[in-house]
Amino acid sequence: MISVKELVRESHLPSNYFAPDVYIQGDLEAGLIENRKGARLLALPEPFLEAIYEGLAEEVGAASESVLYKCGAWWGKTFYRRFAEEVSQHYKQPLAEVEMIEFLQCFKQSWKTHGWGKVDLDFNFYQQGFIVVAVRNSAFATSGSALGKPKCFVEAGLLSSFFSGLTGQKLHCIQTTCESLGAECNYFVLGLPERVKRAEAWLQENHDHATIMDRLCQGQANR
Amino acid sequence: MDTALQSLIYAADDHYLSDADLDRFGKDVQALGDRIEAYEYIRERELSILQPAVDYLTEEFLGSDPKLLERAVMHWLSILRYAAMAMLLNNSEYLSRRILEWLPDLVEVYQLRDIELALYRLILVQAKSSLSPEQLALIKPYLEEAYAVLLNAKPALQKAA
Repeated sequence: MISVKELVRESHLPSNYFAPDVYIQGDLEAGLIENRKGARLLALPEPFLEAIYEGLAEEVGAASESVLYKCGAWWGKTFYRRFAEEVSQHYKQPLAEVEMIEFLQCFKQSWKTHGWGKVDLDFNFYQQGFIVVAVRNSAFATSGSALGKPKCFVEAGLLSSFFSGLTGQKLHCIQTTCESLGAECNYFVLGLPERVKRAEAWLQENHDHATIMDRLCQGQANR
Repeated sequence: MDTALQSLIYAADDHYLSDADLDRFGKDVQALGDRIEAYEYIRERELSILQPAVDYLTEEFLGSDPKLLERAVMHWLSILRYAAMAMLLNNSEYLSRRILEWLPDLVEVYQLRDIELALYRLILVQAKSSLSPEQLALIKPYLEEAYAVLLNAKPALQKAA
């Protein structure tokens, strides 16, 4: 016998914490956009992002890729901390105890609500030590000049720190496809640095995502 | 905010509303009164609508894991509350954003589709006997929308390890 009254009293009613109409709020009097916890949000115009990309490329050349990755990684660290705090408070339990599917729903919705695109996670390579992230309509693929290779360095850095925070292990992230190159989505591969970095050479040889994943997994099987 | 009223407020940005707009405004305000009444009614009778539906559900799914049944009940508790609010606001997007865009993956992962659809049917039966025909007509489109979304729930997630 299920008592609805008891359920209402004892359980957490499911809801979409990151629903955009409730998560993004504004204090128009003070000229602020805030999230539902009162943390300030900034809406950056695309030309500003482009200016950062171009300015960095002009000043530091090829090193700008690594600078952008590190910026993303720094940002991802604080984003993870805030995400974990908010989701834990919402579910009234530590993030590690939140059901996997609910964590995933929150993660995907938070990405969408912040305007960073539509994210999906693929755990099919988890046993081999990799997580694949697919982002469609990425906020980072359209800015900056064409490099002839994947260029969402901020996004890669952001993902590396977020999942490092989540797994408690230092992870690296490599982008294997890019919307800026006509791909249907940005694919990112996350894993331990010594395992994932082997893909950099294959990327330079213009191998596609499927081939890179095959080789990465093959490399793990041969160990 | 009520979407119909909101569009009239936007329309009045830099000019007076026309007689036709004012007439619409009056009708929308009157309709809002009916929706407030229906909302209060549903709020007060939430348990008497849901409990019998849940009792029938547990009979219908006798061998099922009680935790799964509870989860489905929680989903419909939320749906009913958000549907009532969407009805009050006359805004179906509210229901979609707050719960319907979010629910199908959960229903899929926990394989709750059959239970959820059965519960919808049972809740509708109870709503028919608890609410007036006018009140039912106000809330039913939102419950039907939830049903349609759950009916079409697809496997959206990759298999988690």
